[in-house]
Amino acid sequence: MSLLSVSNVTKRFGGLTAVDDVSFEVHTGTIKALIGPNGAGKSTLFNVITGFERMDTGSVVFGGSEIAQAKPRQVVRSGMARTFQNTQLFDSMTARENVMVGSQARQATGFAASAFRLPSARAEERVASDDAGRLLRMIGIHDWADTLASDLPAGIRRLVEIARALATQPKLLLLDEPAAGLNNTETHELVDTLYRVRDSGITVLVVEHDMGLVMEVSDEIVVLDRGRKIAEGPPRLIQKDPVVIAAYLGEEAVEDD
Amino acid sequence: MSWRTLRVAVPFVAAVAVAALPFVVSDTFLLKVFTYVGINVVVVVGLALLFGYAGQVSLGHSAFVGIGAYTCALATVRMHAPWPVAFAAAGIVAGAGGMVLALPSLRLRGHYLAMATLAFGELASLAFGEATPITGGVDGFSGIPFPSLGPLVIRSASGLYWLVWAVAGIALLIASSMVSLRPGRAMRALHGSELGAQACGVDVVGVKVRAFVISAVLAGLAGALYASVIGFISPSVFTVSASVTFLAMAVIGGTGSLAGPVLAAALLTLLTYLDALIPGISRQAAQTVQSLQADVYGLAIILVVLFAPGGIGAMWRRKSREGERA
Repeated sequence: MSLLSVSNVTKRFGGLTAVDDVSFEVHTGTIKALIGPNGAGKSTLFNVITGFERMDTGSVVFGGSEIAQAKPRQVVRSGMARTFQNTQLFDSMTARENVMVGSQARQATGFAASAFRLPSARAEERVASDDAGRLLRMIGIHDWADTLASDLPAGIRRLVEIARALATQPKLLLLDEPAAGLNNTETHELVDTLYRVRDSGITVLVVEHDMGLVMEVSDEIVVLDRGRKIAEGPPRLIQKDPVVIAAYLGEEAVEDD
Repeated sequence: MSWRTLRVAVPFVAAVAVAALPFVVSDTFLLKVFTYVGINVVVVVGLALLFGYAGQVSLGHSAFVGIGAYTCALATVRMHAPWPVAFAAAGIVAGAGGMVLALPSLRLRGHYLAMATLAFGELASLAFGEATPITGGVDGFSGIPFPSLGPLVIRSASGLYWLVWAVAGIALLIASSMVSLRPGRAMRALHGSELGAQACGVDVVGVKVRAFVISAVLAGLAGALYASVIGFISPSVFTVSASVTFLAMAVIGGTGSLAGPVLAAALLTLLTYLDALIPGISRQAAQTVQSLQADVYGLAIILVVLFAPGGIGAMWRRKSREGERA
């Protein structure tokens, strides 16, 4: 069953077409990877899907509803959560508090209810705190719960951001380069986390440069190059695809100059 | 004593000390000075929410104090409204103004937002001076009655002091509840990373508007208290430099804290009345300090930004974290 279907999405910035008529589907319960050389339009596509950028043309249907014009907040509420290539943690807050913000969208406590410390507000607070603790434990970073985000190592920051996204209770989790800046051990832990997330019933769409990780975890891969989709399929086919190889070799040749 | 007990004990002792002050201090002028401290605390609690938690700069908050003060004056003198009604109206009208000022905050950030709020403050200040038929113009508005609750008129120095500090205490209680729950996290998230907050489903627009409105309501209520305590208001009070003073209190007090800004509000307000506090001080020495006031605020802001970002609040948090670990 298709959870997310992206159809003919195009996004231009002035004269540059960052995403050019891209279509693909993400099936429930799978891990799908979005790969491509630098500047292929992966992050832009992520931003378009999650409502951070407006697409010029095309459609994004998520869980049966069109979300092409939705704002980030509405996208989150519809069950899609994301992380960022440059982690966007709240530095003055602890890891646990960061994850608790992820529960915001599901909570009702407003300024008025909190001003009078209504029992409902306090009950919600406990639920959010317990949820955060549970998620941090699931991801294996509970020891860092009470550390300020600004004091966390880069690898842990990425994992906290994933926990925060999970706190929104998403059906689909979008990860933008989760392995960037991670060492080997941390990358292995990330792989375990991804499997745990998928096994808990959450579908995953991941942008990633670490090919080892991509080939290991993903059920299907979409390859973008200069804004266009050039290939789509299971890892073993993508690895051998001459078009994909050419795109990556081309990039390396340019970088070597 | 552990840091945990300190965190409960300090506010409690402070509250008792503030409530008991009129029994200890008999000098009426000194009581008035501490009443002004309370009025500034009400303004700064709002600014602490707006600046220290939600991360939105305002250089126009004295405009809301002015709007509250003139609303209270007009309601009581011209419309003969009961004082509690005038007091509430001051908060409501200022809150509406806060909603107006929130609009640029949805598009502008940092310096640009500071400029927009500065312009708002300057415009309001001009309007108070020019709208002579309503505000009495530069000559001011006099004959504003003392606060009253039904037949009870509060006119003694200690009565006014308690009224002002009761409002300040309630404002602090409400604000501290807000910041410890979901709205507080939403504001801090907004401050930390707007993208991150959006990705968590935080209603960024709603939170900004609410923070502006709440801080404007508190400034408006403080203005009503000021007008009723003094009985006379004029445009010279609600100036941009007063806004800078309020912001200085919030900056020095620190981000993510209520106690810090309250302490800073008290210290900076008392600095103005040095001659009343230190009996032996020569008039000339006091005047020298007062004439350097703006320089002192400016220097303090620079020192805080350079050496103690996060202000008093952050210093306290760091110490208490270290204390807990030890």
